[in-house]
Amino acid sequence: MSHTTDRHSSEGRHVPPAPSAAPYTANPAAAGTGAAGVEQTLKRETHSSRATASIIAAVLVIALCLYALLETAVRAVGQPPWLVDPQTAAEKVVALPSGVPPLLLGVVGAVLVMAGLYFFLNAVLPGHRARHVLLDRRAAVVVDDEVIASALARRARLAANVSQEQVIVTVSRQQIEVNVRPTSGVPLSRGAVLAAVQDELREMGLSPAPEVRINVASAGVVGA
Amino acid sequence: MNGTPRTLNRILIGILGLKLLAIGVMLILLATVPAVAAWWQGWAAGVWSIWRDLFERTRFPGRAESWLWIVMVLLLLLVIGAMVAWVAQQGKGRANTLLSEEDPGEVPGNVRIGSGVAEQALRAALADRPDLTGTTVATYEFRGEPALRVRIQPRHGVAPHRLAAEVSGLVEALDVALGKRTLVLIHIASGARSRFGRAERVR
Repeated sequence: MSHTTDRHSSEGRHVPPAPSAAPYTANPAAAGTGAAGVEQTLKRETHSSRATASIIAAVLVIALCLYALLETAVRAVGQPPWLVDPQTAAEKVVALPSGVPPLLLGVVGAVLVMAGLYFFLNAVLPGHRARHVLLDRRAAVVVDDEVIASALARRARLAANVSQEQVIVTVSRQQIEVNVRPTSGVPLSRGAVLAAVQDELREMGLSPAPEVRINVASAGVVGA
Repeated sequence: MNGTPRTLNRILIGILGLKLLAIGVMLILLATVPAVAAWWQGWAAGVWSIWRDLFERTRFPGRAESWLWIVMVLLLLLVIGAMVAWVAQQGKGRANTLLSEEDPGEVPGNVRIGSGVAEQALRAALADRPDLTGTTVATYEFRGEPALRVRIQPRHGVAPHRLAAEVSGLVEALDVALGKRTLVLIHIASGARSRFGRAERVR
């Protein structure tokens, strides 16, 4: 426990002079527009931009259009088609269930449904990213859940006095799950671990604030 | 923080997803339900004959081809252009100047501070910290104003709130040096190097 409050001495040279002591000259007008900007930035940073899905969609549409363009252009200048003439293609589509094995048709349909679901759900779901917002007086701060998990795991490990491999922390938006596997023969206080993790969380001041669950495994680890 | 058009992304992806879903469901129904197949053949034949009539009526005088083909080529080119423009919108918004203002002093002229000043100052200040595996600082234009994005990757087990407090202390020092408060986003991220690197044991 004492390690967490023990700050390393070499970091002192990175810390700038205290801002309260320095003459602060920023104009208040910029700070006024800043608050809304911070809100908006945080909202953008904690939600997915769907850029990947957009680029995939655009590339798909471009590829489809390029092929159609090729066949149409070939047709317009009166050359023989490359793969299929647009007119024959349309006639085949009209006559659809016949001419294609039903299994193939069903499989192609299923693949299209899957792709459609991927894009549609990407568009409709809220798209939360695995990040939390930290309150800070100057900057907008977002933290990846993985970083929170490793900080909490370290604190829980120190409180439970077990090794690094015996603690697994999972952080989701509303919940934090701490799984501890005690060392065989060494008693483990669940309350101490919970208190340590909650103390660390209180210091972090996450938003949205998740609740903590501690699971102590019934089977211990031998020789850890 | 960047200028990705998020609403547009959602709308366009949604439209494409719905279309793919409809086509896929239709294909599955065609393959499995005979009644749907019969209906489809009747309906699609009607639509196709309307189009064929249209192509017949729009022939070039004296030639076998219709000018509708050329219209289709133009439309397809338009769609391709729109898609390329859409892709180009993703992740844009990097800026080069951090500050551009008139100097109120006696010397006439403007003051411009390039984004490299803040980027390099912050990067240098965070460079030899043992608890970080990487720092990236970039300037973006956010709602017409320059904004800084600081992305730091701590090692395993570093407390994010202390890191954030220290970096925001650096940012406040930068505010004083520049004389202007810019919007700053600190992103404490996990990456491959922090995942596989050694844990921070000192702090």
